Amino acid sequence: MIEAQGLSRHYGDFVAVRDVTFEVGEGEIVGILGPNGAGKTTTIRMITGFLPPSNGRVRVYGRDLFEDPAEARRDIGYLPENVALYPEMRVSEYLRYRAQLEGMRGAAAKSALGETVERCLLSEVKDQIVGTLSKGYRQRVGLAAAILHNPRVLVLDEPTVGLDPKQIIAIRELIRDLGKRHTLLLSTHILPEVELLCGRVLIIDRGSIVAQGTPQSLRERWLGNAVLRVVLKGEAAGAEARLQAMAGALAVRREAGATAGESALLVEHDHGQDLREPVFRLAVENGWVLLGLGAEKASLEDIFVRLTTHDAAQEPARAEEIVQ
Amino acid sequence: MNGIRATLARELRAYFFSPLAYAVLTFFLLINGFVFWLIVSFLSNPRSPGGAPAELFFGQTVFFWLVLLLITPAVTMRLLAEERRSGTIEVLMTAPVTETQVVLGKYFAALVFYAFLWLPTLIYIGFLARYSTVDWGPIGSSFLGILAIGAVFLAVGVFASSVSRNQVVAASLAFAILILLFSFGLLENLFNQPWLKQAFSYLDVWSHMDDFSKGIVNTRRLVYCVSLSAFFLFLSARSLETNKWR
Repeated sequence: MIEAQGLSRHYGDFVAVRDVTFEVGEGEIVGILGPNGAGKTTTIRMITGFLPPSNGRVRVYGRDLFEDPAEARRDIGYLPENVALYPEMRVSEYLRYRAQLEGMRGAAAKSALGETVERCLLSEVKDQIVGTLSKGYRQRVGLAAAILHNPRVLVLDEPTVGLDPKQIIAIRELIRDLGKRHTLLLSTHILPEVELLCGRVLIIDRGSIVAQGTPQSLRERWLGNAVLRVVLKGEAAGAEARLQAMAGALAVRREAGATAGESALLVEHDHGQDLREPVFRLAVENGWVLLGLGAEKASLEDIFVRLTTHDAAQEPARAEEIVQ
Repeated sequence: MNGIRATLARELRAYFFSPLAYAVLTFFLLINGFVFWLIVSFLSNPRSPGGAPAELFFGQTVFFWLVLLLITPAVTMRLLAEERRSGTIEVLMTAPVTETQVVLGKYFAALVFYAFLWLPTLIYIGFLARYSTVDWGPIGSSFLGILAIGAVFLAVGVFASSVSRNQVVAASLAFAILILLFSFGLLENLFNQPWLKQAFSYLDVWSHMDDFSKGIVNTRRLVYCVSLSAFFLFLSARSLETNKWR
């Protein structure tokens, strides 16, 4: 369990992170989402105790990370953004070194090592020199090292960055599996990853949290009404008015750039309401040829873009703010 | 303790598996072998003033210092600079170990490797013992002196490595500090005030080594070496800590 309270970090005049407060509860999988340079890594580094915050505090299971670092750090397993390993070591040597750093020794270290190698599917490369490994394997070695001491919390900074699609799937599977045993905090700029893995999301932009909640609640909050997309054959003149008149329909607009000979209409309605049947009946009544009918699934991507895109006009004002 | 043990073991492995270590070792032995040959052939000239070859070899020639001043920065430059450059420092500083433990672990590894560098010079002593009589007292104190002064130089090197993320910068900085430290002894002759003269002669590493090579073990000299090493190691740990704030 992690509590971050009012975390800020300045680099000279530049404010990298501003007053970030959040909590990661026991067993949760929380994603930090943000564009590059938003302050994700800085936030993560403060949570793991690598960077001291300019303001604010971090508690890990009630222990302050900067007053009681030795104990608090034991509860955290950390995979940094650029998984830096010693290239001249063998995988098993490196893992043994990390186990030693965590204060593990003897039989306990040995069994933890064996188990971790199995869990992270590293058996076939455990005698290889780290420098010769592919990026995907290096990522796995980093993950293995982070979970060796069986920490209660795992913090992963961009765990899938720079991997090929197959490796990404493998690492995600591994992360999902880890989520069953550990509390997880992971940062990413890849949206589907968050949808796939995380129970809760923090969206961070320019050093501040701009939204947080479950992917579902974010969708409802930030994207307004649910949308039903109706595709009809031909011009379907007058269809807008008829659809608008339907009970439950809040607004109707015609989608621009539909395929020739078709028209697509977007019907907004409240969440939890199903308008598909009434639309079908309306089509039958009016003799429209219904080509398509489906809920427009709003993605987190739209929210993300909406929250983190800034008007060019706003840009200079913000920049001045930072300089001051 | 975990921090010291883990980093010490890792660094030792890194020393003995890296090509740099063998380059340093070769260079070191080549120069020392040449110097030893020079000393022996000089002394075997009937017209030479005579003297003990081991004494001359350990610290009484400028070669000894040249080698020491060049070797120690090369031994230590990688230690912390490389951790920072490659980013492995992040893992180290988020593990339940302290900066002091990390610095000490790396320092001891450098000290062990340094001692290993000197090990083959025992062969020279073996040669001397075969063809003449060797006074073992001064030999022992010479090795003690080499270790004591090396300890200071390596601590300076560790500090320089903690300041930069570039190994070349770290080595240059270490070299500069060592030259400064080394020249303190020479300043002795610039002053007339007795207390200044005394202060600088206390700092003079050359006269330290002179004493050691003659078999004089002065606790004051040892205290000087230990406290100066501790001072630079303390600075290294603090420097590692302040890196976070930048």
